[in-house]
Amino acid sequence: MAKRERKFNPDKGYVALLGWSLNAVEAAESFDRQYVVVAPDWAEPYCEEHDIPYVPWNFERLNDRSVEIAQTLKDMGVNVAIPLFEETVEWAGAINSVLLDNPRLFGQAMLLRDKALMKRRAQLGGIRVGIFEEAHDREDVIRFLKRVNQTLLKLDGDPNDPIHLKAFDKAGCLGHRVIRTPDEVDTIPEEEFPVLMESHLDGWEFAVEAWIHNGKIRFLNISEYVTLGYSVFVPATPDLEKYRSQITAEIEKLIKTFDIDFGFVHPEYFVTSDGTMYFGEVAYRPPGFKVFELLERAYGFNAYQGLILAFDPKTTDEEITAFFPKEVVDAKGYAGCFGVYPRRRVVSRLEMPEETEDHEYFESHELTPPMEETVTKRTAFGTHWGLIYFFGDDPYRMRDLLKHQEDLDFYV
Amino acid sequence: MTDNNEQAASGDVARKLAVRVKRLDDAVELVAASPEFTRLSKIPRLLDSARQVLMVDGGCAEAEARAEAIEQCGVFEGSDWAYPQILIPSLTSHSLRSPQMETVVVEALSELRLLAVAKGLYLHPHISKEQAHHYLAQVLAINLELLFGVPSEAEREQQGKLATISRNVIRHLAERIGYEHVIDQLIDEIWRMLNQRPIQVGDVRQMITQIAVCRANPEIDLGGSGQGADRLISSLFGPTQACREDPGVEVYQEHLRTMDSVALQSEATGCARAMHDTGLVSPYHAVLIRYLLNTSPSLVGEALGLSSTGRDCLLCYQDLVHALIHEGIHPETCQGVYGLALMLERGILYQPPVAPALWRQVLLPVSPYSEERLRMAFGPAPGPRAWLIQGVLSMLGQPLGVGQGNNPTCQSARALSMWAYNDPDYLLQMVAWAARDDEIIMHFEGQPVSSRLSESGVATEVTLDLDPVSLLVVPHLDRIYAEMGRMCIGREGDPHRWVNPEFHGWWSGRGFRINVDVATGQLDDLDGFLRHFYVSYHPYYNGNQPLIHPQPAGIAVTDSAARFIGWHAITILRVGLDQQDEMRVYFFNPNNDSGQNWGDEIVVSTSGNGERFGEASLPFGEFASRLYIFHFDPLERGDPEAVPAEDIQGISEMVYRSWGADRVPGAALQADSGPG
Repeated sequence: MAKRERKFNPDKGYVALLGWSLNAVEAAESFDRQYVVVAPDWAEPYCEEHDIPYVPWNFERLNDRSVEIAQTLKDMGVNVAIPLFEETVEWAGAINSVLLDNPRLFGQAMLLRDKALMKRRAQLGGIRVGIFEEAHDREDVIRFLKRVNQTLLKLDGDPNDPIHLKAFDKAGCLGHRVIRTPDEVDTIPEEEFPVLMESHLDGWEFAVEAWIHNGKIRFLNISEYVTLGYSVFVPATPDLEKYRSQITAEIEKLIKTFDIDFGFVHPEYFVTSDGTMYFGEVAYRPPGFKVFELLERAYGFNAYQGLILAFDPKTTDEEITAFFPKEVVDAKGYAGCFGVYPRRRVVSRLEMPEETEDHEYFESHELTPPMEETVTKRTAFGTHWGLIYFFGDDPYRMRDLLKHQEDLDFYV
Repeated sequence: MTDNNEQAASGDVARKLAVRVKRLDDAVELVAASPEFTRLSKIPRLLDSARQVLMVDGGCAEAEARAEAIEQCGVFEGSDWAYPQILIPSLTSHSLRSPQMETVVVEALSELRLLAVAKGLYLHPHISKEQAHHYLAQVLAINLELLFGVPSEAEREQQGKLATISRNVIRHLAERIGYEHVIDQLIDEIWRMLNQRPIQVGDVRQMITQIAVCRANPEIDLGGSGQGADRLISSLFGPTQACREDPGVEVYQEHLRTMDSVALQSEATGCARAMHDTGLVSPYHAVLIRYLLNTSPSLVGEALGLSSTGRDCLLCYQDLVHALIHEGIHPETCQGVYGLALMLERGILYQPPVAPALWRQVLLPVSPYSEERLRMAFGPAPGPRAWLIQGVLSMLGQPLGVGQGNNPTCQSARALSMWAYNDPDYLLQMVAWAARDDEIIMHFEGQPVSSRLSESGVATEVTLDLDPVSLLVVPHLDRIYAEMGRMCIGREGDPHRWVNPEFHGWWSGRGFRINVDVATGQLDDLDGFLRHFYVSYHPYYNGNQPLIHPQPAGIAVTDSAARFIGWHAITILRVGLDQQDEMRVYFFNPNNDSGQNWGDEIVVSTSGNGERFGEASLPFGEFASRLYIFHFDPLERGDPEAVPAEDIQGISEMVYRSWGADRVPGAALQADSGPG
């Protein structure tokens, strides 16, 4: 493979992308910052073949050798490390504390990696959260379920309000379970403990993506979930966008509480019927469900390049202001995606429903043929079999369309 | 009202198509704008949007118009499709029937790209307008049932909606290339196949049926084409006056009852002529023969179209022949009539053990397992024993018509053919053991090898697309062959040295030459190998001795771009001069179609160069350039130095240009010998 001619702006920063994401590499490749990919050694042949700048590193738990990668990157002249996945958030914190000579960044990253610590800190900062507790075994879960429902003045025999169980340090929906009765507690495998338990908030859940530079929000997107774990679209409907100023205030509170000066946050909130915002959790990395790709479709800017700008200490205010469009009004339309789970127990092939394929909003899909005929029963929110992308000009039609997909079979 | 509905419907289709074409264009643009290292990850989206377009009426034309842009996106890269000049038309029938979306779509896009080339819309660096046209005409011929046939249950089950794409593409090709090319090409193709006189003619029958259906359909304008199909269609559906209208076997039987002897005679000669012209037998022919058996046995010879040799044989063994017909020839097993006729012509019944062995065959009890297999392959009627008799007659009459079907069992197919050709009573013994006892025992260097005790064969599963004899015997032979190979583990060199003579028969030469070093895969003493082959087989250098027994040999099969495909077992049958006084090797290839293009201008001929039915042939040197194993008699020595150096040089270069390109030992040679 011949070396590519690359033109980087020498006045701008040199960034390290932590973790392997082809879309991120593609974005960096066509941007003006020098970059290097830090990824496990299985990525090496690909990077070599395609002349992608690369440093091998296996992101396991932080250990004594952690300083090695920070030093390597520092010696190369890298200015900042950007985490692409949940698992690399603490690495970015550790590395950036060396690169930017700011030890506080490491502690901040640890806070953002542990859901229980995160909630405490949020509470301390005056952010409203639901009731939560750590559980170390099934007993803890049953006790919490009972107490939450007593607090809600439920009588024996009333249907319980559910509680939510989440792993401390996993991204998004991985390991997320909903428990309604003590019987269901038995279905939790031993190895999932310890977990974080939260009361159920009867509200409207949504996510925010915010690019932060010099302590200020430079772009704030609200992602509307149609059904959690199934579908999302951007920008949100006016029904949700009407809370934008309130949401912005919440994010500013978050920035202050977690002392975030630059980078990118992806928090989740509930808004209850009376307009109260409850904080769910926050991640310091790009969201799953391809929201970055949806943003590019809706607004035309590359969200990964925005990420590089927000992290690069050499980015100027003017530069970043010019880069981002104006929220909502600059969107060319609404982009959404739907995660497919097979509905039947036994499937033999992928077959797109005609009504989906023929819908004018339908754009493309990433579904692959089934690997196995028997579908494993879903125990937790988890891995969908692929995404379907839609684009159109009416947020309500988009919402209903995404909702409707849940009633269709993609695998038969 | 109807008109309005139709207009509305076509408007819907047009709108749908426009939306999908837009998505395809977006995808093409997306891929084209991507850096090279992320393209691969975006190809699935491109293929899926192409799939959507191809599903809709008119979609093929849109894809054809974008063919060049789509190819430039790299959808064919890393596969054979990237080299359209080497594509083989017959493989399209598999890919167009694939249950894999990607395979079907890529194949369809490749066809449409070549259509753009053939129409002069796309100047392709690797393939000319004429080549593309020629290729597509063959693709159409081979996939004709997609054009006219009704979707089968299997197609629906395996492919689902994907079948629509295959059908749309073939229809679009037919409309753009013209139906007349399809039919004439198909007819030529059928004649080419029939010239090899295969035992299995199911596919050929199906294709002829397609043509007949197509000609009868007033909506299809065939222009001036399809004239050559008369003989083919009539040989199956109306070989004589009395069945020209294809009245059905019952009606024909009624007709026969009313005929006088002159009319019956004319029926008999008519059927016989059709059969010998084509190698195909009409079910009416079976009805006629059974009828003659009871009413005018003297006309049976006429109905078989026998020469004086065959007639003589029939008269000597009349009872046996009648018993074989009575038990084995029915409208379903009609193809056995041809086998019977040719068997009588071969005179093999005069070999003492053959007639009694056939008597055993007539009454042979078939084991429940074998019955089940025959029933699965051929259906419930007539009984399994009748099918087996038909199989035996076909194999003894057409020993070079044996095919391996879709199985990697060329060794076993070759053995069956060799026995039928050279040792017919041994073949009948094998059939009896397999069909009656479900076990065959052969011996390897004195050790018994049982097919029942041997674990696994070369093929994991033997498919049902075989003639009745192969269907029952091949699974046994395959296991024995593999077991013999296992018994050679630890010996130095190639196991065929020992296995071939033990497996095929005493007449396989115990001397053995191979030009590949087994351990390294490199060429080994090519010069000595070729000289030795000349003095063993070439009449000019072996004392003008014609080949006595068929000999097993191994060839390195290459594709039409002369790239190595794999090792393959064949039989060398004879070496002799053709009508142009060129020395040719005539051989049997158990592959179902011997007419193959091996690249570097080596095209195996199956007729027109002195071949008998079922033989393949090549000029001596061209054959030698693909040979890697042969057997010889170690006691017959010639003078290897007498072979001209330029012959050897020329053949060696053919080896280096093809399968030997990366097998040249030593770095020094590698530099100047490869094809570049």
